[in-house]
Amino acid sequence: MKRKVSLLLSAMLLLTVVLAACSSKEKEETTGTTSANGDIKGKIVFLTNRTDMIGKQYNDYKKRFEEKYPDVDLEFEAITDYEKNLKVRIASGSYPDVVLLAGGIPNSDFPKYFAPLDDIHFSDDLYFKDLKAFEGKMYGVSSGSSTVGIVYNKKAFAAAGITEVPKTLDEFYAASQKLKDKGIVPLASNFKDKWPLDAWLYDVPTIIGNDSTHQNKRADSDAPYGMDSVYAQSWNILREMNKQGFLEKDINSTNWEQSKKDVAQGKFAMYLLGNWVINQVIENGAAANDVGFFPFPTDNSGELKAPLNPDFFYGVNKNGNVPAAKAFVQWMIEESGFDDFAGFIPTLKSKKPQLAQLSEFNSYNPKFIEAGPSNDTATEINNKAQIDQEAFVQEYVLADDPAKVLDKYNKMWASAKKSVTGSK
Amino acid sequence: MLNRMSISKQRTIIIVSFTLIPLLLLLTFAYYPALQLIHLSFTNWDGMSQEKEWVGWDNYAEVFNNPDIFGVFRHNLAYFFVGIVQNLFAIYFAVILKGKLRGRNLFRLLLFLPYILNGVAVAYLFGYVFDTTNGSLNTVLGGIGLPNDTSWLGMKSLVNYTLASIGFWRFMGFNMVIYLAALQSIPEDLYEASSIDGANGWQKFRFITLPNIYKIIELNLFLTVTGALEVFDLPFVLTTGGPAGASETFVMKIISTAFQFNNYGLASAMSVVLLLAVVAVLSVQRYFLNRGND
Repeated sequence: MKRKVSLLLSAMLLLTVVLAACSSKEKEETTGTTSANGDIKGKIVFLTNRTDMIGKQYNDYKKRFEEKYPDVDLEFEAITDYEKNLKVRIASGSYPDVVLLAGGIPNSDFPKYFAPLDDIHFSDDLYFKDLKAFEGKMYGVSSGSSTVGIVYNKKAFAAAGITEVPKTLDEFYAASQKLKDKGIVPLASNFKDKWPLDAWLYDVPTIIGNDSTHQNKRADSDAPYGMDSVYAQSWNILREMNKQGFLEKDINSTNWEQSKKDVAQGKFAMYLLGNWVINQVIENGAAANDVGFFPFPTDNSGELKAPLNPDFFYGVNKNGNVPAAKAFVQWMIEESGFDDFAGFIPTLKSKKPQLAQLSEFNSYNPKFIEAGPSNDTATEINNKAQIDQEAFVQEYVLADDPAKVLDKYNKMWASAKKSVTGSK
Repeated sequence: MLNRMSISKQRTIIIVSFTLIPLLLLLTFAYYPALQLIHLSFTNWDGMSQEKEWVGWDNYAEVFNNPDIFGVFRHNLAYFFVGIVQNLFAIYFAVILKGKLRGRNLFRLLLFLPYILNGVAVAYLFGYVFDTTNGSLNTVLGGIGLPNDTSWLGMKSLVNYTLASIGFWRFMGFNMVIYLAALQSIPEDLYEASSIDGANGWQKFRFITLPNIYKIIELNLFLTVTGALEVFDLPFVLTTGGPAGASETFVMKIISTAFQFNNYGLASAMSVVLLLAVVAVLSVQRYFLNRGND
């Protein structure tokens, strides 16, 4: 074991040296061709996380982009474990012209590394203009976004005699009852695996409160998990679903991989997840026409809402070939068709998504709630209190006395908040 | 060059140069990180920042004062209890399979085989066994008329014992093989002589076998105790610590403290405490097992 580790380490060391050598050479080349008058020419490198697109779609992108800008030489470099590796490369100063911004880099650090992108003239208004911004300047352009709602099997709905998708919470429960009566498991919660509960933790509270900053606002409160908080309201729906038997028979014994097949075959009817799961259900054997997508009704008002969550953001190295890099970012957003390929909701507000399920989703006219920037204080308190919020959801749903669970976590929060904000 | 030196000098050079490499590797990859760990346990490092602020014993105070941290050791108890039973079974099978049993090699192989399997593969395998609705265990129980809807991995009171039983299945054969080797090293004539003196099976076991494998029992208990304290792969894959944290073990807690909550200092302190806990349990065990021996 020890030998393996040492081997791995030395291999990694070697690789880092080689990589560093390569990229420093790249940079020399690119900076050499950056001209002061902002001409779009020279070499640019895009550091991407989509290793699967290298040699396929990217070849096409390169051809089309270089047709439009004949003086530019566009290269792609794909790496895995993107966030961690990007951080290392930024720290060592050897990152290429266009990168993807994720979490981990505080917004206040942007001016140190990246060029402001406000002077790119996009053909339309953008989503998430202010998310990767600092002091009024935009440093990141969202590559696309996704939403969360109910992904459902239309055949299962038809079998249970549900002709119209539910628009209110009561209708949702009624539809679930019909499915249950037919022997179909209404909603696949994948409770055991924890991460599928993120929708109940982040997105449903956003819908309920009509506000995407609820996680940040915890920083202002000593008891953010009150009985009437958006969290308790969200988790009460899940509790109720579990009590009525609308979830898997034993929610502590669920199987994610199997659930995709079961949804595809109509043994399970629904998921509450992001639109990314649609293609996975189709890959597991469902006909594309049989998979639908509608906004999750969290109350009986009939007013539908949905969160809008950004994917990676494009950022431009301020020491790189900035003009060509900006042209590339604009081209990626407006012409590449990457958003459709990835199944995203386009960043240009007026552009319609191509995925049929997203068109169906939009036909119910949900009001989209854009995600806001994250707040370091709330994260810091959460880390200090060591609150595993997914386990918290589990505990709340399983508890005989949910109020006690809320009390416990509120106390943890309050004492952590005291030590975090007190020490500053 | 070596030819001109005396034999003893050559020997020294060879020995030093040959031990140097493994020693260097040992120091670099075992002792240096261990020292760093102890150093980190006195800081509040968040895993990224350049500064590591010295916080003295704060992290250790937190480990012992926060019931959420130290309390998870309760979950490890199940593995400890099952581990003891596992050792009893291992001795039992070793004694049986040492005798002239037909097909004993096959049985030895069958019992040892689970140990060879990869831990994560075993976890996946048992995921299908313990599944409530489609699992093979509940199907079998239902088939013979017992309740078939037990939530093996979903009941807080049961889940740790369910997981520990997988450990039993996996490591019992390994313990058995060690016992078997020890048993085979006991000279046959001791048993012969005792038979002539009229000893029965139990007396032979009690007065010949047991004293001879004492050291090996100690070794196996050591492996069991450290195994119980350091359990990680089974709950991590099978339950992710659920339901609601009921099967979270101490090592899982360390990992989430460091990598989820970015509290590397506290996690380091927890690791050091785990190390000390193993040493403490071992000392107690040695004290009781060696009483009157030396």
